[in-house]
Amino acid sequence: MTRLPIQPDVKSFYHLDGVDLGSVSCQGMACFAARHTAGDRWEQIEGRSPRVYCLGKCYAAPASGCDESQPVAIVHCRCPVVLERIACGGALTLEAYRTRGGLVALERALAQPAERVVAEVEASQLRGRGGAGFPTGKKWRIVASQNRSPKYIVANLDEGDPGAYVDRMIVELDPFSLLEGMAIAAHAVGAERGWIYVRCEYPRAVAMLRQAIVSAQNSESNGQGFLGTDLCFEVELVVGRGSYMCGEETAMLNAMEHQRPVARARPPYVAEQGLFGQPTVVNNAETLASIPWIIRHGEQQYAAIGLPGSRGTKVVSLNSLFQKPGLYEVEFGIPLREIVEECGGGLRRGSTMSGLIIGGPLAGVVPPTLLDTVFGFDELHKIGASVGHGGMVAFDQRTSIAQLVHHVFRFGAYESCGKCTPCRLGSTSIERMFTAAGEERPISGTGQQRFVEIIEALRLTSLCGFGTGLAEFAQSIMRHYSQELRACFK
Amino acid sequence: MLQVTINGQPVQCQPGQTILSGLRTVRVDVPTLCDDPRLAPVGACRLCVVEVDGQSRPVAACTTPLEPGMVIRTHTPELEECRRTLLRLLSQNYPVQAVERDPLSPFHRLVRTYGLEHELHGKSQAALVDDSHACIHVDMSQCISCFRCVRICHEVAGQDVWRAWNRGDRTEILPANQTNLRDSTCVSCGACVDTCPTGALADKSVLALGPVEHEIRTVCPYCGTGCEMHVGTRAGRLISSRPVMDAAVNKGHLCVKGRYGLEFVHAPDRITTPMIRQDGEWRSVSWGEAISFVAERLGQIVAEHGPDSVGILGSARATNEENYLAQKFARIVIGTNNVDCCARVCHAPTAAGMKMMLGTGAATNSFDDIELAKAILICGANPTENHPIVGARIKQAALRGTKLIVIDPRRIELAECAQIHLQLRPGTNIALLNAVACTIVEERLFDPAVVPEHIGDWAHFQTFVADFTPERVAEQCGVKAELIRAAARVYAENNPAMSIHGLGVTEHVQGTEGVMCLVNLALLTGNVGIPGAGVNPLRGQNNVQGSAHMGCDPGILTGSVPIAERAARFESAWGASLPMRPGLNLLKMIDAANKGEFKALWAMGYDLALTNPVAGATIRTLQGLELVIVQDMFLTETARLAGTVFLPVASSFEKDGTFMNSERRIQRVRKVIEPPRECRTDWRIICDVAEEVGRGTGFSFASAEEIWEEIRTVWPAGAGITYRRLEAAGIQWPCPTEDHPGTGILHKDIYAADEPPSLRRIRYSPTSETTGADYPFLLTTGRALYQFNAGTMTSRSQTQQLRPVDLLLICPADAQTLGIAEHQLVRISSHYGEATIRASISTQMRPGELFATFHSPDTFLNRVISSHRDRFVQTPEYKVTAVRVEPT
Repeated sequence: MTRLPIQPDVKSFYHLDGVDLGSVSCQGMACFAARHTAGDRWEQIEGRSPRVYCLGKCYAAPASGCDESQPVAIVHCRCPVVLERIACGGALTLEAYRTRGGLVALERALAQPAERVVAEVEASQLRGRGGAGFPTGKKWRIVASQNRSPKYIVANLDEGDPGAYVDRMIVELDPFSLLEGMAIAAHAVGAERGWIYVRCEYPRAVAMLRQAIVSAQNSESNGQGFLGTDLCFEVELVVGRGSYMCGEETAMLNAMEHQRPVARARPPYVAEQGLFGQPTVVNNAETLASIPWIIRHGEQQYAAIGLPGSRGTKVVSLNSLFQKPGLYEVEFGIPLREIVEECGGGLRRGSTMSGLIIGGPLAGVVPPTLLDTVFGFDELHKIGASVGHGGMVAFDQRTSIAQLVHHVFRFGAYESCGKCTPCRLGSTSIERMFTAAGEERPISGTGQQRFVEIIEALRLTSLCGFGTGLAEFAQSIMRHYSQELRACFK
Repeated sequence: MLQVTINGQPVQCQPGQTILSGLRTVRVDVPTLCDDPRLAPVGACRLCVVEVDGQSRPVAACTTPLEPGMVIRTHTPELEECRRTLLRLLSQNYPVQAVERDPLSPFHRLVRTYGLEHELHGKSQAALVDDSHACIHVDMSQCISCFRCVRICHEVAGQDVWRAWNRGDRTEILPANQTNLRDSTCVSCGACVDTCPTGALADKSVLALGPVEHEIRTVCPYCGTGCEMHVGTRAGRLISSRPVMDAAVNKGHLCVKGRYGLEFVHAPDRITTPMIRQDGEWRSVSWGEAISFVAERLGQIVAEHGPDSVGILGSARATNEENYLAQKFARIVIGTNNVDCCARVCHAPTAAGMKMMLGTGAATNSFDDIELAKAILICGANPTENHPIVGARIKQAALRGTKLIVIDPRRIELAECAQIHLQLRPGTNIALLNAVACTIVEERLFDPAVVPEHIGDWAHFQTFVADFTPERVAEQCGVKAELIRAAARVYAENNPAMSIHGLGVTEHVQGTEGVMCLVNLALLTGNVGIPGAGVNPLRGQNNVQGSAHMGCDPGILTGSVPIAERAARFESAWGASLPMRPGLNLLKMIDAANKGEFKALWAMGYDLALTNPVAGATIRTLQGLELVIVQDMFLTETARLAGTVFLPVASSFEKDGTFMNSERRIQRVRKVIEPPRECRTDWRIICDVAEEVGRGTGFSFASAEEIWEEIRTVWPAGAGITYRRLEAAGIQWPCPTEDHPGTGILHKDIYAADEPPSLRRIRYSPTSETTGADYPFLLTTGRALYQFNAGTMTSRSQTQQLRPVDLLLICPADAQTLGIAEHQLVRISSHYGEATIRASISTQMRPGELFATFHSPDTFLNRVISSHRDRFVQTPEYKVTAVRVEPT
């Protein structure tokens, strides 16, 4: 493992290096959807440089860096897996964590052969909560089966999808659940080092993790190892410097290696050749935070929750256009309408829902007519949407489709890593196309044809999920908002 | 083999291939922009996407491995439409003029293939142009973000000059210094230009003179690495060179000299007619007059003073065939063994030392062993400047984890990526290398499979080196004992370990013995005869290995065989008797001339006035000779100061033949252009003179190949090498038969031999060249990246602009004490003479030590160099001279 100091060219990739986050204003999608509440200020916010896409305060949009308010966290299911402690104020110290059920799972896991732990996670049918929904147990098994060492556990806390603040609240209020999940993963696959990559837009999460790591590594209650057990495991915190792209796992690994954080081509897969070329588990924070519950309560119990193909619960975060914005843990299988109407209490007075964007801007939009769709990986996929990170941003009649498309591609062009042609140039082209449309001038000439061609190139040829996500968004607009879209073109 | 289906056709592919390489083997062409076989695939441009059954989306052919049973479609309408869209995106702001100017660049070709040439709307933007570099034009208006320049600068050149800045569509490619290429750390290898698919990076020569019309594959005329290149011409002029992708040594890479150092061929001061000096003035004459003058004068001198009053110097810049004829001429036409070449002043100690210990005086292994070695010991060589392709390969190996040990008085570039740098005091090689051997013995780090059973003189050697403990030699070498021990451990414990050395080992009074010390280390650790190991000299000039091996050496005949042993074979082959009196090497020729016993010198491609040590005395001696025949391209210092007759020759781009590189590889040199005006090949001139003196029978050849055919008959180890075989690739000797593949690694069975190889006890007899009150500094000399030896070629090429002057490197503390500022002109003086040179303050140097280059006649640094010589082969001690420095 060799890591040279970060070079100036690599630094130039990031846009928040050295920026005072207390003074910034967010223009992420939830803030964009609520821009009318900012009045004249919005234009100023949008003109700012560097831009900030999502501070994870979508419940108080348009958000500012100095806003210290916290969202509600409510359990809306039979069996809370993730919000169990958080809904009751969280567990900020290792002691509090232990008294509230923490570390039982780790001790149980350590008492078992590693292979058994992998098998349990497999049997739980847990799927990754970061967006791709890859079966967690399968991922662990691949890493466990690699004959090379060292192996690494990486927790992805670069929750950049505007609209999502799930992972942020997990580590701010229940950081040890993440560390316990990482420790179990380390035991399961045979890793001795872990890394947490956390975005700098979450300063409180950074502070909580720093403290938690110190107490996890210095806990002297029982063993000399991690979290007071006998496990030999060390965790390092890496704080981002401002780049949505770093949430993409291969770009994140590059960032951690101080390389330019662009997506890597797959294969090789991260499980085989990840951080510093070594076998690596990369899991999102909510995924890892679910692990202790699974080990403690047993895989069967977890697999009994939710839907076939979408087991367990998911925490969703609702934006400020809802009557009751905040975090809700729901069981897979719940209709979207129930989340919108019962959890969120519907939209605020004066807002009529034009659509629901689940899992950030790089995903399909759910039109109001499809709110009876059941919340699940496959069910959403069928209507061109996805679970994503669980952020749910409702937008209303104040946001036209042209404005929405422009906003998403403006975001896409700003955050694209620029490595592959379709994403680097396609996102900008469409942003430019819709800059005009946003001003209510139809896009001229061959615009519509070009739009379709670029979306197709993004869908079919992008290197990573960023470009294909942009295409998914655009395709869902073409599918569900064809009339509005047509109006953008001459 | 692995079976896949490509566009409906079943195809057999190699496991481990990517889809793209599979497609290429069956000649299915998918467009690519970011792919380059020299680089790890990254999948950036996305043009090579193909459909694979069972995959939800197309995959990039360049990054996806082939798997058994894959069903691949490459040109569906959907894929082609995507490609057109991607190309359109790349074209939208692309300068239209660029495509018109150079319609054949890979990107421009694709733009036209996909019918997008009318959609280009951009133009070159002044802000994106960087015209600062002497050879490379940069116009990033043409950049399409394939990142090939950034990648090749990292993955091949190992320099990391080009960097990608910012992100998204604001991505910019700029040098690491963010200003311009000239002021960056660019080593001007041109790899980025070579890989650029658009012309954003371009050779200024091509921009100025127009696109290449013809290309011919040949071998670089500079160092002994033996890089193969495609030389491009337009209207009979050399305008470009590109590396050969599948070349054995350079594998698609060239250095600055091979790439931007060829203009000398067309230099205005090139001499293109024969000349005779009359009353001090040069007079152009016909070849007829020149040849008869030479024949007549040689005849007179031989008649008057005997054949041993004449000497011939072959040329490391001439072909094997020409050197072969030069020594044949000396031996059977003149009748003397007074024949030598510039190996005398560089690696003669290597040839002698290795031959004495291992039986063959040449590299034991190949450059391909660099990638196999676990550790590499680099002693007295600065490969990144003097053998840059080898240097780049070593650097890449180091970045991948190969351990480097550098032994050098200077903190050279490779020392920066080495585990251990032994920064020894110049002249202490023997003590240091013995201390390494001592550590290996004392700490029992030797190879138990070899020591003691399969090695000679073990008992004595063990006792002998015990005196050289690192602790004892540390002070005189100026290196910490613990560091010496650590180096010994790294070398001995990482098997295989390769030893690579240069003139920092050989150009000493104990040069031959220094080489023998290196062989000791290799023998002790079992590093002889196996892949990734051995003892390997980096030969300085393109054919210096060949010129001596062909017999341009007073003591040996073609194939490096002693005259006494093999005279009979040659006498029967040549139909003439051989002189059996020992010949003079070039330094002894000068000595003999001083005694009045040597009268005439024929110097082919060798500027000894400029390059011999104690230059002042050498020049006076040359001026005293009755006849000095200079056969060269330019009026060298030897010609200018002492020449009697000048015979203008063809460059290596103007003739056919072969060169032999450092690793014993014979490669074909091909005629790219016609020689200008009256210039003739060296071999033709030798034949003409032989004919003129009535000895034409053994010298009547119609082509270089005919000469080679004769060489094969007298050199058994080269007998299997034919021009026909060389068409495909170079061959390393020994290659005794035409079905023999050549030999990459020598001495495979050496430890199993009946008489096992013997260690040598090398006593340390330090040079008498020591510092004192008058001459308090030790000066060591060498070459720099942008210049080559006497500067004959580089000073007449684009390279000259990159480093116009010789420099004296001095450490900051000494510069401060002496009040010397950067680039200030200083005087260096020694017991032998003085020179003026510009100083450069460098942290590569230690206090009390200086390093200077010797490229320019304006500096004439060799006036300062001492007269000490190696005691076995008389190689001058260029590397240690006590000097004084003072500001002028």
